[in-house]
Amino acid sequence: MIAIARVAVAAALLVAVKPAACQAPAYKAPRTADGKPNLNGIWQVLGSAHWDIEGHAARPGPVVALGAVGAVPAGLGVVEDGPIPYQPWAAAKKKENAENWLTADPEIKCYLPGVPRATYLPFPFQIVQTPKSILMTYEFASASRIINTDNAVTESPIDTWMGHSRGRWEGETLVVDVTSFNGQTWLDRAGNFHSDSLRVVERYTAIGANALRYEVTLEDPTVFTRPWKLSMPLYRRLDRNAQLLEFKCVEFVEELVYGHLRKKAGK
Amino acid sequence: MKRSGMCHFPLAVIAIVCLTPGSAHGQTTKAAANSRPAAKKWTAPRTPWGAPDLQGIWDFATITPMERPTDLAGKAVLTDQEAAEFEKTTLERRNPDRRDGGAAADVGRAYNYVWWDYGTRVIGTRRSSLIVDPPDGKIPPLTPEGRKRGEARAALLRGPAAGPEDRNLWERCILGGNAGPPMTPGAYNNNVQLFQTPESVVLLNEMINDARIVPLDGRPHLASNVRQWRGDSRGRWEGNTLVVDTTNFRDPTNFRGASSSLHVVERFTRVDAGTLLYEFTIDDPKTWTRPWSAAIPMKKTEGPIYEYACHEGNYGMVNLLAGARAEEKAAEEAAKKDPR
Amino acid sequence: MRTIRCDRVAAIGLLLVVAAAPLAAHHAFAAEFDARKPVRLEGTVTKMEWINPHAWIHIDVKRPDGKTEQWMIEGGTPNTLLRRGFTKRSVLPGTVIVVDGYQAKDGSTKANGRDLTFPDGRKLFLGSSGTGAPKDGRDVTESKR
Repeated sequence: MIAIARVAVAAALLVAVKPAACQAPAYKAPRTADGKPNLNGIWQVLGSAHWDIEGHAARPGPVVALGAVGAVPAGLGVVEDGPIPYQPWAAAKKKENAENWLTADPEIKCYLPGVPRATYLPFPFQIVQTPKSILMTYEFASASRIINTDNAVTESPIDTWMGHSRGRWEGETLVVDVTSFNGQTWLDRAGNFHSDSLRVVERYTAIGANALRYEVTLEDPTVFTRPWKLSMPLYRRLDRNAQLLEFKCVEFVEELVYGHLRKKAGK
Repeated sequence: MKRSGMCHFPLAVIAIVCLTPGSAHGQTTKAAANSRPAAKKWTAPRTPWGAPDLQGIWDFATITPMERPTDLAGKAVLTDQEAAEFEKTTLERRNPDRRDGGAAADVGRAYNYVWWDYGTRVIGTRRSSLIVDPPDGKIPPLTPEGRKRGEARAALLRGPAAGPEDRNLWERCILGGNAGPPMTPGAYNNNVQLFQTPESVVLLNEMINDARIVPLDGRPHLASNVRQWRGDSRGRWEGNTLVVDTTNFRDPTNFRGASSSLHVVERFTRVDAGTLLYEFTIDDPKTWTRPWSAAIPMKKTEGPIYEYACHEGNYGMVNLLAGARAEEKAAEEAAKKDPR
Repeated sequence: MRTIRCDRVAAIGLLLVVAAAPLAAHHAFAAEFDARKPVRLEGTVTKMEWINPHAWIHIDVKRPDGKTEQWMIEGGTPNTLLRRGFTKRSVLPGTVIVVDGYQAKDGSTKANGRDLTFPDGRKLFLGSSGTGAPKDGRDVTESKR
């Protein structure tokens, strides 16, 4: 009996110390009333993926007067199996985007950031989770999108900035399929881009009480030679009374966008 | 653009609204709430954690005006026949496909009927105004400061605009015209989707895909120096009614010339499967001589709510500024040719 | 005399339009487009931007002198059309349309699409509403999903 027990204990110990590289997550999030992992909360990414999703050293910014504040911090990169697999024409276009960043980046004009860029902007966003619809609302430009999990609307009648999101649960993971992009968003401030053929599959998985793992597969046969992936942690905002505040940046870009049409002083 | 129009509700849904008509004259919002018939068999749905379930997509389009028309003074509620007549004449009068009225009216009517969606029906209670208090259905008188501010703003809007800040917040694509708070029926896209978790209620208005997150945990408002275009909202339950208190507005506000001292209290009550009663009270002593309240029954709708990216496609702002500059240039050149 | 009556009708029309917009809201149509510059254009659609706050239909217009002018025609919010069952495939490049409108104040080749029709006179987005009589457009939307 004792021998069997010892073997059983040994077997149990063996299972327990199996390397964490196995697929099943160790953490099980508390459940919502409808039995799903509870992803409600305010989340934010750390690091410099918003500057450049590929690994990069620190570099100067384009606005001399901003000095260190306007410079680009270094980043480990969030692209798995990098570099980004651009087709030759697209690699040249990315370079052109980077060179024309100040005039070409839609973020600078306070345009809606699209997916996945909205996730890793340096602003918090909130997940509001209900059984049939999950709302993700982003502090940047009050961007928002609704992820329907009941598959009621399979196709979007038009192309949009934030795309058309359909969600489903795979165990501990919320999987979101996003299509119908208008192709006008970028992936970061380094000029990485896509077309309106982009298809994004996101995976949100709780890895602890205050962190999620965020994984994204990007597929765009017009721009890339194959699908590719990026991933990063999402950290819960733990500030007392944390809430999204307003960053309605249209007001901050009016001079930039319309200044040339302003009435000249003294007229 | 704030014109009445068509709302596409099946008649059956309208009939379900169970606010009691007839006794509505002189009611405050609380009285309106109490007048709901208790005899209905319908049981209010609850969320799994026991809160009243207000969720869904709600359409607040209606042709009932905010204020009681002068020719309906003293008539708080219309009869069935009067309501039908009001609907008919309003829709005929407002039909943008009419081509009478000359060029200026034509430009103002803007485009074909199919682009508009501001309702075909008066509200189910057949009240003659959305305003329920004061009893005469009219917005109370302005304070001297309120009148001055309103006149200055109106003068600015008559144009020409020197820059974007001379235009309304929705022309600038900063806030939707009907989103508030408070929410008020506009020319189209009068839709709001309501989400609930144990911690908060979230109101996502279609214009301009703006999510107003209302915490229910009793936390205080933001510090008084932190002002927001949509203010700062806090919620609590009073029986079956969600009460949302909003302060901390910026200047200028989006609502009828109100000051940044604007204080909005909204009340949401599910009165039946297809109707969310929306009531709001406006308190701004700098602008109006007394508080005033309105009630709008919102109708459940299938949706979905579509993206409303506004700033990204705001050719209109470019056009109106370019137009103003072109007219100024033309006037300058005319003056040069004929200096008197 | 007929002319005087027309002026009066115009004035009343304006009053009605003003009365129909009871809120203090004032939209910039009059600031963008010039009532003194009516246009009537027949052109071929090159693309339609299904965007807010206003949709824009781009058309190529052949001028009498043989030159082609590119015009942008302003519509309303596409969201209303989407709810009536229309999609980005509803107005394809190559479609010929007739535009009755007013030109932009800055003289550029832009106009508001006051009345959009096909050359045979049918309104562009017919839907269930015919020529403007109120009907329940939501049924059309639901049946098209």
